[in-house]
Amino acid sequence: MPSDTLEAVSEIRELSYAEAVREALGQAMEVDERVFLFGEDVGVYGGAFGVSGDLVHRFGTERVIDTPISELGIAGAAVGAAITGMRPVLEIQFSDFVTLAMEQLVNQAAKIRFMFGGKASVPMVVRLPGGSGTGAAAQHSQSLEAWFAHVPGLKVLQPSTPHDAKGMLLAAIDDPNPVLIFEHKLLYKTKGHVPAEAYRVPIGKAAIRREGTDVTIVGSSIMARKAEAAAERLATDGISAEVIDLRSIRPIDFTTIAESVRKTHRLLVVYEGVKTMGIGAEISAMIAESEVFDFLDAPIIRLGGADAPIPYNPVLEKAAVPQEDDIVTAASNLVRHGEA
Amino acid sequence: MPIEVILPKVDMDMETGTIEAWHVKEGDLVRQGDTIFEIGTNKAVMEVEAPASGAIRNIKAETGVPISVGTPVAWIYLDGEAATTPSEPAAAAATVAAATSLPKTESPVAPVIAAVPNSSGLRATPLARRIARQNGLDLKTVAGTGPRGRVGEADVKRHLEERPRCTPAQEARPAPAPSASAPESRLQPFSAIRRIVANRLSESMRTAPHFYLTSEIEMSAARDLLGRLARRHERIGAPKPSLTVLIARVAARILRDHPVINASTEGEATRFHDSIDIGIAMERDGDLVVPVLRDAGGMDMPAMTREFARLREGMAKRTLTPAELGGGTFTISNLGMYGVDSFTAIINPPQGAILAVGRTVDKPVGREGQIVLRPMANFTLSSDHRIVDGVAAARFMADLREALENPELLL
Repeated sequence: MPSDTLEAVSEIRELSYAEAVREALGQAMEVDERVFLFGEDVGVYGGAFGVSGDLVHRFGTERVIDTPISELGIAGAAVGAAITGMRPVLEIQFSDFVTLAMEQLVNQAAKIRFMFGGKASVPMVVRLPGGSGTGAAAQHSQSLEAWFAHVPGLKVLQPSTPHDAKGMLLAAIDDPNPVLIFEHKLLYKTKGHVPAEAYRVPIGKAAIRREGTDVTIVGSSIMARKAEAAAERLATDGISAEVIDLRSIRPIDFTTIAESVRKTHRLLVVYEGVKTMGIGAEISAMIAESEVFDFLDAPIIRLGGADAPIPYNPVLEKAAVPQEDDIVTAASNLVRHGEA
Repeated sequence: MPIEVILPKVDMDMETGTIEAWHVKEGDLVRQGDTIFEIGTNKAVMEVEAPASGAIRNIKAETGVPISVGTPVAWIYLDGEAATTPSEPAAAAATVAAATSLPKTESPVAPVIAAVPNSSGLRATPLARRIARQNGLDLKTVAGTGPRGRVGEADVKRHLEERPRCTPAQEARPAPAPSASAPESRLQPFSAIRRIVANRLSESMRTAPHFYLTSEIEMSAARDLLGRLARRHERIGAPKPSLTVLIARVAARILRDHPVINASTEGEATRFHDSIDIGIAMERDGDLVVPVLRDAGGMDMPAMTREFARLREGMAKRTLTPAELGGGTFTISNLGMYGVDSFTAIINPPQGAILAVGRTVDKPVGREGQIVLRPMANFTLSSDHRIVDGVAAARFMADLREALENPELLL
């Protein structure tokens, strides 16, 4: 088939976020024998959120491995496999359970390349379903990405669309460093355009989802989607919001944020993780420290998760993380009244 | 649970209010309905009553600082409640904490950033400072319209557009330093009302190009009519009519024929009002207040006299609502009773005009070739030239003269 026909077909192709991740895994495994999946129930059951699906039937139990319930064991085995030349992709069933794998991820995976003077590297990918909104309560709903963004040697991604979920996973598998991908559970069923071919979305490059002039709204993962929806509503109210989808928390694309704030003079950072000591603090401080400071016409505002464990009660669960209405209100107040 | 006392919303479009004065102090016992503080909005000062009986604790709000509607400003502890500090109302965090039954005495997990004390330092955004720096502008000369008077980009740009062409050196000249040997003086911060008056009238003089038309009008007929009205009102049990009310009545009648004098400026448009709502400038304890005779066009003299008396009493007792103290379409200011011959008034924005009334005094005038004494008064109309032209204002003044000199023509 001529290539222009292929492109025409791929333009209208829609997949869910979960399907896009599965497609990336399948395509990586097809072309590279070193890639294998690893995790609790990723095989026969198809993954707790159905992401790995039928991959075990396509690639067999040697390459899609159901592990015992030990996150420390899974992560340690992955680090060892990566050092010895494999490309493990492991799934932490709920990102909350990553606490049990901290030693391997933070003290081993992140440090080895540096401590061996570059003679060893750890090309592993960790997929972590995270976030609230499913009624799964305090131990199954957290957004812990900021913890890992604090660790030199790790890369932390938060794709928000099916397109980026596939492209960033493939880029992460190529990467010679340990990469953690936080996938929001509420995004798995969202659909979007996904080209059929294997493609890469560069790590460390934010996407401007909507251009605007009055206020910059920065978010990642599901918050980028909420910000986009909020911007749509703000537009009908005469407020032009620019929406930046970070996609990558570490490395972070500071240039794109700074250029936007220089234009809009106002910054609203939205993130689901606990507001205090979170990603928003880092972005706010980066802007405040930079020469863009002189272009601020209002305080920088953070909308983050409440300083509380995620409640089980669905009303409180919703109230504990920023929602579309909160973004609309905060952005509108920031533009109209100079404070949120 | 202690009862929260919040800054109430006393006016429809109110977003912030300022506590003018606390009537209670920490630990005072109050009964439900007692006045606990006075709140200043952008129109009026009102008293706020205690929502419950008990002891006042944790007064959090300073006076003179604008506070968002709904902010807790104090707590009332009912009998027997321990006077411990309630946890800070840290927005969502506190809501969630309360709902998850964390003990109230525990300090909140989130650090609560202490309110910045009312500092006299200049508030300006970095961008405003940058633009000021680039233009050699002293930010202290710029009026801030942001939260707590913060100067933003828009304020600086507006100032730069409006400022007369002068050198930066002139702009930046500091005020003379107070000399140590100067006689004693007193510095009194603006009250809420003083601040409103200052801001609104400055805005009016800055943005509305005023022009003034003065007419000297013979008041014989009006005076005579006032005498007859007084006797009639006595008979029907209405209050004695004043000259101010008579002028308001006449103005309300002729404003019907002069919609542009009864109009307001709204951005780059003229807002014409169906209703004629006449504000009467009054003084209360040194403050300027302007109660409004609502729908004055539809009132007869007894009705208007009664309404005027009610507004006057409400003003003295401070029971008028912000709605009764704002939103007029035209204003009358009468200083004749103080012996003022004539004066020019500043338009009450966004209105388009204001009528200043001087004293009525016998003056020699020419009538049928003779010099005779007649009671005469000066009326000066200030108009906003953006929406009112000279001829339109002159026509209104001509009709005002005709109506006051021949009130029977109004029939």
